[in-house]
Amino acid sequence: MSGILEILGKIYQSAIFVYGLVLLLVYALLAIFSRLAVRQYTRKNSLHQRDLLSSSPLAPGITILAPAFNEGMTIISNVRSLLTLNYPRYEIVLINDGSTDNTMEQLITEFKMVEVAYAYNVKIRTQPVRKIFKSTDPAYASLIVIDKVNGKSKADAVNAGINLATFNYFVCTDVDCILDKDTLLELILPVMQEENKRVIAVGATLRIANSCEFDEGVMTRMRPPRQLLPRFQEVEYIRSFVLGKMGWSYINCVPNVSGGLGLFDKEVATRCGGYDHSSFGEDMELLTRMCRYAHDNEIDYAIRYIPKTLCWTEAPATLKIFNRQRTRWARGLAQLMYSHFHMFMNPRYGKMGLIIFPFNFFFELLAPLVEFSGIIVYIVLAVTGNINWPYALLLLLFVYLYSVMITTISIVWDQLSFRYYKSWWEVAYLCMTPFMEFLIYHPLIVLYSLRGYYYFLTGKKSTWGNMQRQGFGKKKIK
Amino acid sequence: MFDIQLPAFLEPVINTFRYAPLVIQLAMIFIVIAAVGTLLAYFSILRNRYLGNRRDKRLAKLLPKIDNLIIDEVLTHPEAETVPADQVVLNLDAFQELPLDKKWARSALTERIIHFRRNVRGNMGLLLRSLYMQLELDKDAMKKMKSGHWEKKVQALTEFTNMDMSVADVTILPLTNSRNRELRAAARHAYIKLSKNEPFKFFDVVTEPLLMWDQVELLRIISTTEDIAIPNFARWVTYSSNKSVVSFCLKLIVHYNQLPAVPAVIKLLDTKDHYLRADAINCLGKLQVPDVEDKLVSIYSTQPLHCQIEILKAIGRISSGRHIDFLKLEFLHSTDFDLRKSAAKSLVKNDWIAKQVIEELMATATPENLRILKHCMNPLIKY
Repeated sequence: MSGILEILGKIYQSAIFVYGLVLLLVYALLAIFSRLAVRQYTRKNSLHQRDLLSSSPLAPGITILAPAFNEGMTIISNVRSLLTLNYPRYEIVLINDGSTDNTMEQLITEFKMVEVAYAYNVKIRTQPVRKIFKSTDPAYASLIVIDKVNGKSKADAVNAGINLATFNYFVCTDVDCILDKDTLLELILPVMQEENKRVIAVGATLRIANSCEFDEGVMTRMRPPRQLLPRFQEVEYIRSFVLGKMGWSYINCVPNVSGGLGLFDKEVATRCGGYDHSSFGEDMELLTRMCRYAHDNEIDYAIRYIPKTLCWTEAPATLKIFNRQRTRWARGLAQLMYSHFHMFMNPRYGKMGLIIFPFNFFFELLAPLVEFSGIIVYIVLAVTGNINWPYALLLLLFVYLYSVMITTISIVWDQLSFRYYKSWWEVAYLCMTPFMEFLIYHPLIVLYSLRGYYYFLTGKKSTWGNMQRQGFGKKKIK
Repeated sequence: MFDIQLPAFLEPVINTFRYAPLVIQLAMIFIVIAAVGTLLAYFSILRNRYLGNRRDKRLAKLLPKIDNLIIDEVLTHPEAETVPADQVVLNLDAFQELPLDKKWARSALTERIIHFRRNVRGNMGLLLRSLYMQLELDKDAMKKMKSGHWEKKVQALTEFTNMDMSVADVTILPLTNSRNRELRAAARHAYIKLSKNEPFKFFDVVTEPLLMWDQVELLRIISTTEDIAIPNFARWVTYSSNKSVVSFCLKLIVHYNQLPAVPAVIKLLDTKDHYLRADAINCLGKLQVPDVEDKLVSIYSTQPLHCQIEILKAIGRISSGRHIDFLKLEFLHSTDFDLRKSAAKSLVKNDWIAKQVIEELMATATPENLRILKHCMNPLIKY
């Protein structure tokens, strides 16, 4: 019996060793690729005059889709923020997804909206649309509001917006997100500059808005969050977007365009059925289906990412809401892997099947399980006195310092290119966060992910949760 | 032979390393790499922020001075609007108070001159160009042009384009087919702007596709260049084998309302490429060529959906009132929603003659068609 256990232990140790080694290698490669991608972007950025597009008759039209559910506290300033975007040809489609607060009333009063007979074509099935509104004030001519029955998911609301969208490209955002005024100019550029491929989606870096200052929906001062939990998320976002997504973008292997901000090719998104309202990770699920559609129809596609921060979103500041959000994300990942598993290692789906899917499966989906099993084994070995403590501590120190280094490198790439934050202290404050992340934040993520997997396996009912926002209407930080 | 004395505190570490298994040895090496890497990362953040802040401070002091000098000495020069630019004597001494021996200061001055030049026309623009040349700022661009780095060449070409500096065709033309996309684009812009002979010659030789962004930049250059001889773009519509050039020329034909190009565009209706055909239909509609309506209606049934939509839109734009029945039939019997919507829009655009038909349709239409009609008739709805 002990012999079998010993063999199993050795197999486990070897598997974990290979697993860890590959993961470290992937992050090292991502660090290199992301640097190259960010440098490529900044070079191009310095050579092109983006504002040319803001007065060009050749600018492609873009529809902005912003779903809202009980966003009464922030809705007006957020719509105002969208109305100030710098782009010559765009429309804003705000989808009120059956809010039970005064979101709709505020919109009608503030923007002088009236009901119109709008030719709404159901290309993607959604919950019924009750009414469609347009403003009588020419200043808000680009604004359209859809009032629909609650679909219990963001996906259903966005699909209603896609049905109504006029233009060939749509930008999907959350109405509580604050966008940079040049967001549309930046997002459409990779589409317009691509030489041989059809760009089906473009994403950009998101950041945490919690301690930033806003005035009438416009960001006036960027700060790292003061509270620890949002600050952890800020660091995580920088690593995920500037290092992760940019690295993947360099080899055209972007696994996901965030639901907070992304530009999509409407034709491809519509033809593959729009967002899946039953998915808890609807953004990643849509992109996977778009890639699949592109492969099935022999479209030579590309998905691009921009390292510049174009969107600020309010992060959960309490463990309760954070738990809910991360559980949902983990559940969405498990759902995605399950429903598209035939793409796994399938050469028919090119990089999607051979790189993105295996990476997501092994290092996103399995990572919490591997870590959890590692902790259990560690405890068992410790109790039975089978741990060589000096070596174990050295390995732990190695993993800890490596994770700190990778996160710090992502902050460096971000700082070298954009020099965000006004003072040195703010950057130092951010640089200290990775030291705590490993010990405090990461275990939480593992725990919530396992909870998400459990909910997925047991099929627990869950809904589009309310984020309980504080709002950005006026300056929040003094 | 080399007996290096290590500090005493390192000895246990060295001993551990020496007798540890390979995995632990690797881990120890990577601990050092990670620690040093993290420290280097902090250092590069510090250095970058320090240099950036220093540059910002310098520029914050310098830029207002530059702006004031340009406004005082050039833009509000008493002879700026009355005397030809080449005869105006500029007070260059005033600019000597700027640290022009420094490259960053010259670069900042050049950028401001270009900025002001973009916002003025005529004699003012020529005066700014004269200032640029008299201060010998063009020498920096010349140096960049000779550089082996493509980025510097692009910077130089952009500067020459913005400042209307003449560059020999033989220098630019080879670059218009460069393998580097950015350099190729910059060379094309420069060629159009600066070539004294045939600014559109590269349309004949261009083999790579003109990207959407290239087209935006080219249109801006073409439409803002003074004294440029606009050719008949029908030439490339007829002869170019580069589809993106043909597509761009169709847009230019619309932009310059080139009615003599219409026969060439009509010929393009027979092309096998349906994207180009759609562009040609779009062009004819925007040029409002009534003679082409019959042809468009006759080919309608054999076209793919996006060409059919363009035909319906074109009939609306031309608004001759001769094909109301066709629009009505399409609106009533088409199974595609977008076709019905386009037909309805075109009917509404023809309302000067189709009022009665629209009223009749309003009275008899299905609920969905009625909604489409109301949508098209509502002035609040643009698309």
